[in-house]
Amino acid sequence: MAVDRQQIEDFLYREARLMDSHAYDEWLALWADDGLYWIPSNDDDIDPQRHVSIVYENKPRLEDRIIRLKSGVAYAQDPKSRLSRVVSNVEVEEGENNEIVVHCTFNLTALRRSKMDTFAGHVLYRLRPYESSFKIVYKKVLLVNNDEVINNMTFLV
Amino acid sequence: MTSTRTTIDYEALVKEDRIHGSVYTNQEIFDTEMDRIFHRGWVYIGHASEIPTPGDFRLRRIGRQSVIMVRDDSGEVQLLMNRCTHRANAVCQVERGNTKVFRCAYHAWTFRNNGELLGVTYSDRYDASFRKEDYGLRKAPRMGVYRGLVFGSLSPVGVSLDEHLGGPVKDQIDLFIDLSPEGELDVTAGVHKYGYRANWKFQIENSMDGYHPNFVHQTFFDNIQRRSGANIKDLFISRSAAQTRDLGNGHVMLDFRPYNMQKGPGLRAALPTTPWGQAYREALVQRHGKERAEAILTAGGTHLLVFPNLVLIGVQLRVIRPLKTDETEVFLYPTLLKGVPVEMNASRLRGHESFYGPAGGGATDDLEMFERNQVGLSAQVDPWLLLARGLHRETQDSDGTFVGQVTDELTQRAIWRQWKRQMSQGSETVARRRTNGAAPRRVAQ
Repeated sequence: MAVDRQQIEDFLYREARLMDSHAYDEWLALWADDGLYWIPSNDDDIDPQRHVSIVYENKPRLEDRIIRLKSGVAYAQDPKSRLSRVVSNVEVEEGENNEIVVHCTFNLTALRRSKMDTFAGHVLYRLRPYESSFKIVYKKVLLVNNDEVINNMTFLV
Repeated sequence: MTSTRTTIDYEALVKEDRIHGSVYTNQEIFDTEMDRIFHRGWVYIGHASEIPTPGDFRLRRIGRQSVIMVRDDSGEVQLLMNRCTHRANAVCQVERGNTKVFRCAYHAWTFRNNGELLGVTYSDRYDASFRKEDYGLRKAPRMGVYRGLVFGSLSPVGVSLDEHLGGPVKDQIDLFIDLSPEGELDVTAGVHKYGYRANWKFQIENSMDGYHPNFVHQTFFDNIQRRSGANIKDLFISRSAAQTRDLGNGHVMLDFRPYNMQKGPGLRAALPTTPWGQAYREALVQRHGKERAEAILTAGGTHLLVFPNLVLIGVQLRVIRPLKTDETEVFLYPTLLKGVPVEMNASRLRGHESFYGPAGGGATDDLEMFERNQVGLSAQVDPWLLLARGLHRETQDSDGTFVGQVTDELTQRAIWRQWKRQMSQGSETVARRRTNGAAPRRVAQ
């Protein structure tokens, strides 16, 4: 199957825009029911059954996260962070089970309470074709600062 | 050792039912805290299980001072100050690792991992009076270990760690660790690091606050109720049987056991329904006997502040690191239990991740509260903070600890009394207080 690179980039840009604009429901709709969202802590290659992660969430836990963010009383996002990220360095490979493996990097500026922070890293996706688009089956975020003090990363990364 | 000269009257700042806001904002007070609390008393450093193999080390802090917790080649745990005895270079540059030697990059002096000075380069230019034995890496003057929890003190004198902790604190630490059928913690599951722009004492006060959860964490509790039916909010109402408890010397806890015993069968029965639950329960009974195993499962751990910088909460060891009056780092070490199935430890991690850490659904809202507190402190028309909840309703338990209701501010008052003692006397020895001279009253079990 020939992979349409532009279609994948468009998908990544749309996901970035949804995250930046706190469009929680629309972002959640991008996820497959068997999806896994993973941000390792301290190191990029850890065993999540024996080592803690910053985020390690299946779809039900992702739903809980979104419910909390939409509640109006998630104080860590009250006020909401202002976000602007760039996604680039996109590499696309064919994966198994008709999935598409995508590597990319991101650089995110987050502003909250007059303090600007940068988050950056490499992201590994497995995407499953769905209708004319994709669903996210797997998203692993390798944060540059996953072994550093992070004050607040309650927005979507 | 530097001492801070101060004319601050701590009695005037910490009253029975209120404290003065300057305790969170004043620079001299912060510097004095470093000197009199962190650089004199007992401070938690790390857990022995983090350094299982000779040569393993972790770089930590005692107050402002960089210290290496290392297991030397003979298997002993050492606390070595991270400072070359030549001209003060930091000999350890990474947070964790394994090494036989610490080599200073500047002039290449080399130290064994027990601190001994092994080699001095071009040593022919030192006089005969220079002896390598005099220039080993300095050790923290005192080290004490309880159940693998390593504490250090920068003062060569003072009460022992045993006396500082006291029996009730050790009982709570035991309940936390004895969830392991081997009685051993495994603190090798990494660390969450978060920080906030506010004073360090907000974190320890908040960790021991049973009044805020139903408000700050309401969505987290709602999610749990929706998924599992469990009503966590019930634990934190003012009619809950759960308690606040003062264990002496500034050590305080939230005691959920009376509540758990009321709800009892539901909680304790939950465990065996998992595939590995029955085997785990039997292992605990085999090690401890049925009664003690029941007590361990009913407690389900602990929720304890070991003054000043260690909190045992959830499945984690939480270490508070003050940086400035309005800047604090907090490191959370989720613990695994030795001798339990992989699934049980993985479950501990999943539970920890959902609430804690910089992307967690609970603790992050607490940090937001601390930063809002620090902003609020700027308004000083009235400089006082009120700590009057449950003020005249504290009772003494048969073990000498004092108890209140879980939403009371007994825990904060106990923290501030210890703070005041250490700040004004410079000493952490304490006579256990009495309830206004009245005979201690036994609390119904």
